[in-house]
Amino acid sequence: MRKIWSIIKREYKEAVFKKSFIIITLLMPVLMIALSVLPTLLMMIETKKQTTIHVMDQTDWLFENFSQSLKDTLKNGIPKFVVSKVSFSENDFESVLAEEKLLIEQEKLAVLLVVPKDIDSVGVVQFYARNVGDFSLTSRIKDTFSKLVSNHRLRESGIQPELINKLIKPVKLKTIKVIKGRKEKEGGFLQEYFSTFIFIFIIYLTIILYATAIMRSIIQEKTSRIVETILSGANSFQFMAGKILGQGAVGFTQYIIWVVFGLTLLFFSGNFLPVSSQYFSFSPIIFFYFVVFFILGYFLFSTIYAAIGAITNSEQEAQSLVTPVVLLLVIPLMLIGFIVKNPDSTVTTVFSLIPFFSPIVMFARINLANPPILEILLSIVLLIITIIGLIWLVAKIFRVGILMYGKRPTLPELVKWIKYH
Amino acid sequence: MEILQAENISKSFGEVHAVKNVDFTISKGKIYGLLGPNGAGKTTTIRMIMNIIVPDSGKITLFGQTMNDRLKARIGYLPEERGIYPKMKLHDFLRFIGELHDMPSAHIDSKISYWLKRFELADAASFKVQELSKGNQQKVQLIGSFLHDPELVILDEPFSGLDPVNVNLVKEIILEFKKQDKAIILSTHMMDAAEKICDHVYMIDKGVKVLDGELNEIQQRYGHNAVQLEYKGNGDVIKDLPFVETINDFGNYIEVQLKDGHSVNELLKAIVDRVEIFRVESRKSTLNEIFINLVTGGSNDA
Repeated sequence: MRKIWSIIKREYKEAVFKKSFIIITLLMPVLMIALSVLPTLLMMIETKKQTTIHVMDQTDWLFENFSQSLKDTLKNGIPKFVVSKVSFSENDFESVLAEEKLLIEQEKLAVLLVVPKDIDSVGVVQFYARNVGDFSLTSRIKDTFSKLVSNHRLRESGIQPELINKLIKPVKLKTIKVIKGRKEKEGGFLQEYFSTFIFIFIIYLTIILYATAIMRSIIQEKTSRIVETILSGANSFQFMAGKILGQGAVGFTQYIIWVVFGLTLLFFSGNFLPVSSQYFSFSPIIFFYFVVFFILGYFLFSTIYAAIGAITNSEQEAQSLVTPVVLLLVIPLMLIGFIVKNPDSTVTTVFSLIPFFSPIVMFARINLANPPILEILLSIVLLIITIIGLIWLVAKIFRVGILMYGKRPTLPELVKWIKYH
Repeated sequence: MEILQAENISKSFGEVHAVKNVDFTISKGKIYGLLGPNGAGKTTTIRMIMNIIVPDSGKITLFGQTMNDRLKARIGYLPEERGIYPKMKLHDFLRFIGELHDMPSAHIDSKISYWLKRFELADAASFKVQELSKGNQQKVQLIGSFLHDPELVILDEPFSGLDPVNVNLVKEIILEFKKQDKAIILSTHMMDAAEKICDHVYMIDKGVKVLDGELNEIQQRYGHNAVQLEYKGNGDVIKDLPFVETINDFGNYIEVQLKDGHSVNELLKAIVDRVEIFRVESRKSTLNEIFINLVTGGSNDA
């Protein structure tokens, strides 16, 4: 045990003081801030500007209503739109239009709207601007025109628009999630999908990140021929266990730093976050399972990665062996849409019990529905059994592999290694 | 006193028989040479002693117990494959190695400073290993295998990469260990180095033990008296002598291999009146020659 501890300590110290670790650990929160604050910030900067709109109204009724409808204000209280009517006569229409366009070119005017006389029947308003891609602006203007024009049409036909609006008012659906033992919460497919996906993606990404780190360091130690020096004191199992646990501790440290940072950010920034807490409403139970399945998944995959590191001589060589393993992690990611829709279907249940998929699928199920506690336990037990079996198997491969240089072993050779005593 | 006993150990990797039915014993206070050319099975044998690989058959007993990982702490092993963590500080690395060999924490630092001083590396303790020269890295590895005061020291090619001064230092330390009643195994393909220091020799070739015995004994049994002679006159008289095995005549310099049981004196008596002798040198066969004779199935009947 003391030897494993020494190896863990060494691994941990070396990894934690590495530049790349420090950089990634610090960069991630910066990225987190950027992702959460940037949209708000951009919106604030953007909305400070007033939009000047000129209207060439060929009808005799539209402009008044239009300017009345565009009474939006900016954050600081001043009107967002400065709407003015351009006067023209039938003779100089073309020249006025040209002048206005020139104003747009000279950036003195943002938008020019040309409303035809028979707007009721034509139903088209021309929108001149340098930037026609501002979706919120164009849709705001389109909606305003639509409403005004259709009301006008109704009135012309002798119908009260208010009455019609009252009669055709659409019905909205308010979805509320009910799960035994948890607070009811409002939500929908998108939100469920989003929150589950984020959790799962974190599991997926970090498992790959840390397992690859183990593989890489084993390959590196093989090439630097350090392995035998360590084996002069410890045995191969202690070596492998020390590496996996040490690297796991490194990952955990990084996690804790990020979680603490994330929580602080959430706590202090309140309404700063546009993607507010509605997507991240995790309960302590969910968080507990998140940790459990992350740790189990980490051990499962890092053991496999350790074996790959032990039997290969370079990272390029390892890559071809890593691909099928990554696939095991990607399959549940691809199924996520299905899982969100059918968290309790037979297929999902089966997937959530198969050890290589269960860290992701079972966790997704827990997050979405309330699977029977027995199934959760079963999946955890199966995972643990698989991990123990795998460690036993990999330790044998590892023992032979780490001292082998040169050719990568074939599958029958691997089987033979396992049979060595 | 015997501390290590290997009985009939074999190991094969696929079709290759790395070690075949080898046995040997190692006792305290003696230096053993594990000799043989590259690929003879020396490293595999040592790895089996270290329990890094397990023999297919046979038994290894160490300090009276069947070999197990707990005994590793009593062995100091310098692997042939040198490797150290390049980014670690010298002192930290040695501490780590000490911990792996079950050294009590309080004890490690004083041992480290003793050995660093001995190898004149005391000033480099806080250097990173990668900042040291190759030779100094080799010294660090040697320290790593001496640090925990092992009862059995196994050194695989300990002199390679060292300058003459340090070769001497290591030799000195090895002899010191012998005085302290430790057992030492030197594995090397450089026989002339082994010849100077070993008490007992195990020679293996292609996985098979070809020679086993005390150094003197071996040289008497397998060695042949060779004589180098600088002379003037007709060398043919030497060739025709009945007790001469082979000669190699260079004109005024000749190498003579005498048959067993005949001495240089006899040779001199026979030729002293016929040729003029300037210089005579008598020497025993080197281990190298013995080895080459043995493995090439030389003409010797011994």
